[in-house]
Amino acid sequence: MKIFKFFISKIFLRKAILGIGMILLLFMANYITNTAARSILSTFQGYQETKYINQKGVYIANLDPNSHIDMDVINENGTQVVYDYLNNSFHYAFYTDGFIVSVPNTDDMKVSLGYMNEEYYELNQFELSQGTDLDFNYQLDEKIPVLIGKGLSKTYPIGSTIIIEESALGRPVTLKVQGVLKQNAYHSNYYALNSKTYYNFLILFPVNEGFINNANIDLQLNGLMDVIILETTQKEIADLREFIENNLGLKFNFFSQKENYEYFNEYYLHSLKIIAITAFVLIIIIACLSIWNALVSVRLMLKDFTINLLVGLSYSRLRKIFYSYFGILSFVNLIVIFAITACDRYGCWLRKDATFATYGLFCLIGMDWFALSVVALLDILIEIVIVESMLWRIKKVPISLGVLQ
Amino acid sequence: MTKIIDLRIKEKIYKSRKSQISILNDFNIEVNTGEKIAIVGESGVGKSSLLNILGLLDRNYDGEYTLFGSPTEHLLTSELAQWRNQRIGFVLQESALINSLTIEDNIKLPILYTGFEKGKSKQDEDFEMVTNAIEIKSILKKKPLECSGGEKARAVFARGIIMKPQIILADEPTASLDAENKERIVTLLFRMNKEFNTTIITVTHDLEIANRHDRVIHLERSK
Repeated sequence: MKIFKFFISKIFLRKAILGIGMILLLFMANYITNTAARSILSTFQGYQETKYINQKGVYIANLDPNSHIDMDVINENGTQVVYDYLNNSFHYAFYTDGFIVSVPNTDDMKVSLGYMNEEYYELNQFELSQGTDLDFNYQLDEKIPVLIGKGLSKTYPIGSTIIIEESALGRPVTLKVQGVLKQNAYHSNYYALNSKTYYNFLILFPVNEGFINNANIDLQLNGLMDVIILETTQKEIADLREFIENNLGLKFNFFSQKENYEYFNEYYLHSLKIIAITAFVLIIIIACLSIWNALVSVRLMLKDFTINLLVGLSYSRLRKIFYSYFGILSFVNLIVIFAITACDRYGCWLRKDATFATYGLFCLIGMDWFALSVVALLDILIEIVIVESMLWRIKKVPISLGVLQ
Repeated sequence: MTKIIDLRIKEKIYKSRKSQISILNDFNIEVNTGEKIAIVGESGVGKSSLLNILGLLDRNYDGEYTLFGSPTEHLLTSELAQWRNQRIGFVLQESALINSLTIEDNIKLPILYTGFEKGKSKQDEDFEMVTNAIEIKSILKKKPLECSGGEKARAVFARGIIMKPQIILADEPTASLDAENKERIVTLLFRMNKEFNTTIITVTHDLEIANRHDRVIHLERSK
């Protein structure tokens, strides 16, 4: 320990190149790895989540970018006719969210409503931490059973009621808490798979035919934008497309299984590959710079090392010193990365950003811990390469009196 | 008199970037405890290489080396390091100091690798004795770059003897010193020999200094 302290305070930290230079390089490598690992894992999670819609007979609605929404043409009758047609001819999964509602809670977060029908609920198979599954057979004048996110469960335990001004119906409704979603339940954006909405402060509202029939045009139209048609054929989809265009004046694209595959595999797999390759190349460059930095350091400190080797330092002890030193640098960097991630997560709570507020040990969720593990593994690999390179360089110039002359 | 060094070299190949040279061919040396030996010879004959071998810094040669009665070829690198720390002292030119350390830290460097085997008070006592004898107490807190050549040479000498080694290997210890400082260093070397019966092996170009040793070994270029 005494020798290690001596090397840290009297040798290594006196050479900025081996102290500050190495810390900066390792930090860059750690930051890039952490960002890439989180992004890749998040995209992978999104990909897994959307697998269920990437099946034969499933078509996802998407408004044609060239289609103009003309609210003078679209009216409630038109959307209702479309929903009647959907109800009569198709199985469809309905989901829309982002409707903010005033629900007091201990964390003072803004609460949003997520509307989904039974088909969507069954496709997603949400995991619950408490309570029972959603019940879609209710009447609008009854208490409506809902699921809530973990963040609301402190204020609204199972069985409690929540009275809200329901904007889609335009009147107050009473909700009954039926179950609590597992903490950090999320929904990925179909078109940006690494982007997630966390459900910790969301109320999952069951949508049945009666509700849709009474809902206003905003909810009906929003729901139509991402509607997922199940167990259907291309012919039926073509008819639906035509029906919507005739009644609402909107052109919709419905992506088939083949198109979904192409979209997901080409676009997202491609993005994943770009992220992975860019991160890999950057890490290789940084690793090379770190090795170069370490070798220059050895050159600058060769006399110091030689003198120490002359008076009793052994190569094995020097190797231990190097590993301990770089281990400390890596650990410091890991702590910094950990702190940045934790601050980022905690910031969502401070900003009252319910969409990204998550629960976890020190505010970190699973993907953060996974990314930190990848960073730690990379640090170990870089450390081994750097230390062995330094020792190779030192041994290449044999300890001799000549070095000192 | 006990034989402390028995070195038999068949050949030592010195490799440079462009070529390789064979030195110290069929070179044998036996040294008894307390002997003072000077090694002289023109540049490139292998004087410093011989010192590297004697000081357990180089084992890359064809031959046998028995030191303190033990063959050295099977010693672990950690054992070699321990011997260099406790039984062999290196006295080099004045440039062999770590510039980021104070003179005191430079002198105490071998103690760092010993721990407190001898006890802290004994080590402090040894340090006091050495620094007093060598008259460098006034520069202990200075950095090498703030010291004169003579002061640095004495600091290097102090570090070489702080562990009271059985053998001192001196490589051109007076090469860049003026006459007064040269004499001080040689006197200190011989005092160690006289007071502690330390074996002295000095590589030098200075024949006047060489002739003050018990034996002078002339190294010649290998054919």
